[in-house]
Amino acid sequence: MSASFFFWRGEKLEFQPGQTVALALEAAGQRDFGPSATGLRQRYFCGIGACQGCLVRIDDTVVEACLRPVEAGIRVEPLVAGPSVDTDGGRHD
Amino acid sequence: MTEWKSMDIDLLVVGGGPAGMAAAVEARQAGLQVLLVDQRERLGGAIYCQPDPGCAPVAMSARHRARWQALSREFAASGAAVEFHTSFAGLDSEGLALLERRASAGEAGRVLPVRARAVVLAVGAVERIAPLPGWELPGVMSAGGLQMMMKRRGAVPVGRTLLAGSGPLLLAVASQMVALGQPPVAIIERARPFGQPAELLKLLATPGYLREALAILARLHKARVPVLHATQLTSIRLAAGGGLEVECRGQGDERRFSVDRVALHDGIRPNDFGLPGGAATGGPVLSRAGDCREALGAVAAIEDGKRAGREAARMLGLKLPAMSLQPVKRERRAQAVLARLFSPALTTPPADLPDETVICRCENRTAGDLRGLLAGHDGLSAREVKLNGRFAMGSCQGRFCADATVDFLRRCGAGAEALEASHLTGRRWPVRPVGIATLLAEGGAAADPASVIRIEEE
Repeated sequence: MSASFFFWRGEKLEFQPGQTVALALEAAGQRDFGPSATGLRQRYFCGIGACQGCLVRIDDTVVEACLRPVEAGIRVEPLVAGPSVDTDGGRHD
Repeated sequence: MTEWKSMDIDLLVVGGGPAGMAAAVEARQAGLQVLLVDQRERLGGAIYCQPDPGCAPVAMSARHRARWQALSREFAASGAAVEFHTSFAGLDSEGLALLERRASAGEAGRVLPVRARAVVLAVGAVERIAPLPGWELPGVMSAGGLQMMMKRRGAVPVGRTLLAGSGPLLLAVASQMVALGQPPVAIIERARPFGQPAELLKLLATPGYLREALAILARLHKARVPVLHATQLTSIRLAAGGGLEVECRGQGDERRFSVDRVALHDGIRPNDFGLPGGAATGGPVLSRAGDCREALGAVAAIEDGKRAGREAARMLGLKLPAMSLQPVKRERRAQAVLARLFSPALTTPPADLPDETVICRCENRTAGDLRGLLAGHDGLSAREVKLNGRFAMGSCQGRFCADATVDFLRRCGAGAEALEASHLTGRRWPVRPVGIATLLAEGGAAADPASVIRIEEE
């Protein structure tokens, strides 16, 4: 099977067919999905589209990363712009 | 995509888990036209979530697997129409069901109004998560969320995982992890489920549950998974190296774990947030089925779904006998036994939750904020908690904080004893977040000027 790719913050990542954005990010070792709108971190949590904790931006649309299957070439960005790696215990307020 | 507007729908079923599928099968057998919608791209809901292409399914008991295979066969043969990537936003003031066709790479999302004579809502359950410092961090997820990963990928995510909270799901997830060759570091369980032999004996009335429980316990024992009873997490912190430092407390002793991942779970509850109830004038006959009506698990969900499908046909004038509620009652009794076995031996009094504990993640509102709101009040109304405090005000619409907020306030006294989670969450559409661009998309609901006005009024 030939590898397929998508982009996370401009970085090229591989994904498997049928994989959701959240699980593809997880498989690539990305579990911090960037800042939330209120100073916490976005991340995979409930896996069923209920908690809104994994919201990311694709084509300028806000989507639950745990529901949306990856499609080749899509550009996934954090919900809001900000540092990707959390260094001070998760609180930015 | 199907042109829903031109479809003559007798019954709209929302949710493609066991309850929704069973409702659709039953309604088709009664002769109704059925459209089932699901927010994802596959049937099964959370409990019967099927693996991604090329991935192996997780271990499932034989009776569980047989039940899914039968249901999925019946559904495929039923002739019910299915739309995936479609979620239910609510009923508008004229009783039209608003369906959100979710965005994909090739297509923007849009909301379409659909007229159905009956609607069965089968949107499942959500997990309860008792807040503790650090539950909001990346690497912490719900046990159900971890299970969804395993069901989809057929593998446990790499690294050391700690399971914590309360309830039989923790044991079931641990057992699946063992079967996949990667056991959890430990299970931290608030309750003392084996401390009540009389209750344990009542499981004999449901041999299916008992057999499954024994198989799970045998597997955990064989894999030497530590299960700490009457113990609970007190904090989760990011470690310098990128992992998580976890502290837990039993009766008397404290323990620490260094792990990569924590999966939390404190039971399940109906995902009934914001759902319309009762019959709107001129609107469809409305009912709920499965866990979103009463969270009793998959066996009850199938039975309850059949009941709801049959009931919809009866309400639309078809002469059919009502269905027996006996199977649902049996499940209710079994779940009540499990609830008593897992009644917590420990709970965190509100006073013990540090100020920085996040209660509402979406709005980043903490235990300290809630205390501040309480100070100087003789009785907080739900409106004050929500509008001034911003609890249950965020994008999850209270799904992961309404219970915890109410529990905190009630146990603080302060005149909040009569407060219910539903007072915070209310009953309004959209029942889940819908983008403004999606609402206003060309060809969607807003193409009808009347619906634009209704949207703005909301």
